[in-house]
This record gives sequence, C-alpha cells and structure tokens, in this order.
Amino acid sequence: MRISRRGFLSAGLAVTSCFLLAPQKAVAASLFRSPVATNMLRPPGAVKEDIFVGKCIRCGRCVEVCPYRSIQPLSLKYGVYAGTPMVFPAEIPCYLCMKCVEVCPTGTLLPIAKEATRMGLAVIDRMRCVTWKGESLCHTCYNVCPYKEQAVRLDEFRPVIDEKACTGCGICVHGCPVSTEEGKKAVNIEPIYSGVRS
Amino acid sequence: MNEHRPSLSRIRLLIQGMAFSLILINPFLNYYLHINFVQGWYQSLGIGKLWFVSPLEGLESILVSKVIYLPLVIGMLSPVILAFLLGRVFCSWVCPINFLSSILDRLAAVLARTGRKDRWLLSRHVLWFALLLEVILAMVMGAPLFVFLSPPGLVGRELMLLVFFHTVAVEGIIILIVLTLNLITRRFYCRYLCPLGGLLALLGAKRRLQVQQDETACTKCRQCDRACPLGLEPSKGEGASIYCWNCGDCVDACKFNALNFKWQ
Repeated sequence: MRISRRGFLSAGLAVTSCFLLAPQKAVAASLFRSPVATNMLRPPGAVKEDIFVGKCIRCGRCVEVCPYRSIQPLSLKYGVYAGTPMVFPAEIPCYLCMKCVEVCPTGTLLPIAKEATRMGLAVIDRMRCVTWKGESLCHTCYNVCPYKEQAVRLDEFRPVIDEKACTGCGICVHGCPVSTEEGKKAVNIEPIYSGVRS
Repeated sequence: MNEHRPSLSRIRLLIQGMAFSLILINPFLNYYLHINFVQGWYQSLGIGKLWFVSPLEGLESILVSKVIYLPLVIGMLSPVILAFLLGRVFCSWVCPINFLSSILDRLAAVLARTGRKDRWLLSRHVLWFALLLEVILAMVMGAPLFVFLSPPGLVGRELMLLVFFHTVAVEGIIILIVLTLNLITRRFYCRYLCPLGGLLALLGAKRRLQVQQDETACTKCRQCDRACPLGLEPSKGEGASIYCWNCGDCVDACKFNALNFKWQ
C-alpha cells in the first residue's frame, strides 16, 4: 500500500488537530499547569518553574543518583510535566546530600551550597500544631531539623521557623506526628521560591 | 562467501546487547548496591565525569528555555561528532528500540520462514517533517515532547521505574506501538517518524563512513536490497544516501564483496 503525500499530511493534520482542539479546557489547563504545590517540591538548586518544564530533559539521573529515593519522576497524569523530578517530603524528605545537583546535565538543577538550598519554606500551622495548641510539648521538628537553632528555634517551647535559614528540605514535615484530613502535617513546606502561585 | 570477513550483524547485535544491558543492569546497581558511578540512559548518560546528552533533547532544552548551559553543550558534543563522522550509527548500533526490533526480527525469522515484506511505504521526506514538527511543536507549546515520549528514552525510564518503584509508566505503550509497527513495515518508526533519527541523519549527511558499492563486482542480485532494514536499495548506491544508518546488513548480505564500508 502506498499512500500519497497529500493523504499522509492531511491525516497527520487531522490527528494533530484532534489532540490540540478536542480536550476540554479544564483538562488542557491541568496538562500545562505546574504540579509544584505544598509538600510537592523540586529537588535542590532547581530553576524557576516556568522554564523547568522546557529545560529538564527527563533523563532521570537525579532520580537514580538520590541515595534516599527522595526524588520521584512524575507520571503522565501531570501532562507535559511527566518525567520531571519531584520530592514529596511527607513520604521521604530531602536530606540535602546534594548529589542530584552534581549530575544534572541541563542546568535545571544548578550546583548550590547545602545551606543556600531553597526548596521552599516550612510553615507551621499553629491551629494544628499540638505544642502551639498547648496540648503537649512536642518539638520533633526542632529535633530533626538539620539547621537546628538557625532554621527552627524554640520560643517558650514552641517551634518557630526562621525563613532566613530554612532550606525547605522537609525533614520536619516527615517527622511531624500530626496529620490532618487534607493529608497535610502541622508543619508544611510551601514552595514560595519556585515562581508558582499557590 | 568471503570467509575472512567477520559477520557485522553478529558484532552489531553484541554491541546492541551490551548497550542494552548497561541500561538494564545500571538501575539495579544504583538501587540495591548504591553504586552510582553511572547514571541515566540514552537521553543523558553519565559515566563518572564523562557526560553524554542526546542531541535532540539538548537542542530542545536550549530552544525552549533559551539558556545555553555549557556542560549541556559539552555533553552533546561527542554524540554530534559521532553522527557527523559515522552517521546514524547510534540508531543502528546502540538504540535500545532497534535492539528490541532486531531481537524480534530474529525470533520472527526462526518462527516464520517467509521473507519480511514492507507493506506500507511513505515518502522518506516524512522523516524531516517529523523532526521539524517536533521542534516547532516544542517551541510553540513551550514544553518539549520528545524528552518524555521518545521511545529510546522510554525504554530506559521504564527499566528504571521497574527497579526503583516496581511500576511502569503508561507512556510505555509507545514502545509497544513502535515495535508493533515493525509488523507493517520494518523499522517503520525509525524510517519515518523518529525526530532524533532525523536529526542524526541530518548531522551525518556528509559522513566519512559510508557503504560504497563496487560496480564491477556487483551482479545485481539485489540480496542487499532485501537485507536492508530501512528498505533502501544499496544495489543502486543508496548506501551512501542520507537515509542510510550504517548498520552493515547489506555488507553482510553481499556474497560478491561488492559492498564495503569505506572511510573517505
């Protein structure tokens, strides 16, 4: 069977326009919307989210090199963001070993010092935190923080975050014993440096 | 038959097998033994400090983000030079998709003794349209498509996902589609649709290593034409064409030593 060029091109055009025109607006929007959100963070040294999707070639080297398996590649349900690396600190936080930034071939993750990492900012939910509510004297977030006394201090036994030192690694999120109905913790990482409005 | 010449297809299958076992074994080394000297697959491969980046993926990254990152350019350099000198040899000697296709070809040859026929032929220019469409689409969407939908890359990603997360991604169906298309036309995807193949062919347009035909020795038996997995006709000198990927199957098939690789 030999197909004419015109036949092939019009078939190709038809298929392409199906992909471009057919999806509902909501679906199309979610396919292009960045999945970065609370407790969904890019690995250390990541570029701003608007160029991340174009710069990352989904080679998976950061995923393979991460010794804690903190970095996971996203699935196809995240649209064009499929295959990009993501850290879910509530599951496994980033322990700031800085191996991923050394292997990224595209500069999507740029080499950065451990203490200069800004994956996000830890925010304590004072309505949920058992210490802030006065129910107990839990200070797990303070205990586990790699920058204890800099990123998190105790103020009258209650944890307080200092945004000048918090790397957003999420070890406090992982340690926090409080889980809310929305699947959040009493301390959560907000990706305020990623350029995504949440 | 010329006894002194080693069988190229056997050497090629060995190299393809080694390239495939690298991306097959490496996730296990990374996951279970924490040996992360080698990372990645054939989108970007890092062997210690030696980095390789697939030229099309690198090009898309640069075009879409409009930032030139020097390690990326250096990583792209050696594949580009390889394609410039030897042509599309990545496709024929390394690419895991072509390895799987070759294995299936050999299986089919054992199971069914009838010769393979190419049922659906398109104009070979479709390859250039595929490359152009892919680059334009990536720039229009502001998000590259080939980087997460490329069949050679997907083989590596699926193997990694299987070892690391004990799951596979749905995109993997593309691999099955590409392999199934082989039933209609041998290497249908490689011939007409692979943007990476298109880019490598373009880079290798004036390649140094070519299959040259010795007109005096040729008996026009056309065994080479039947052997070519891309459906080219080396008997008409198409071994030197831009579409040839230097796999050497025609050189193997020629009983009269009329086809040979020549460095020029």
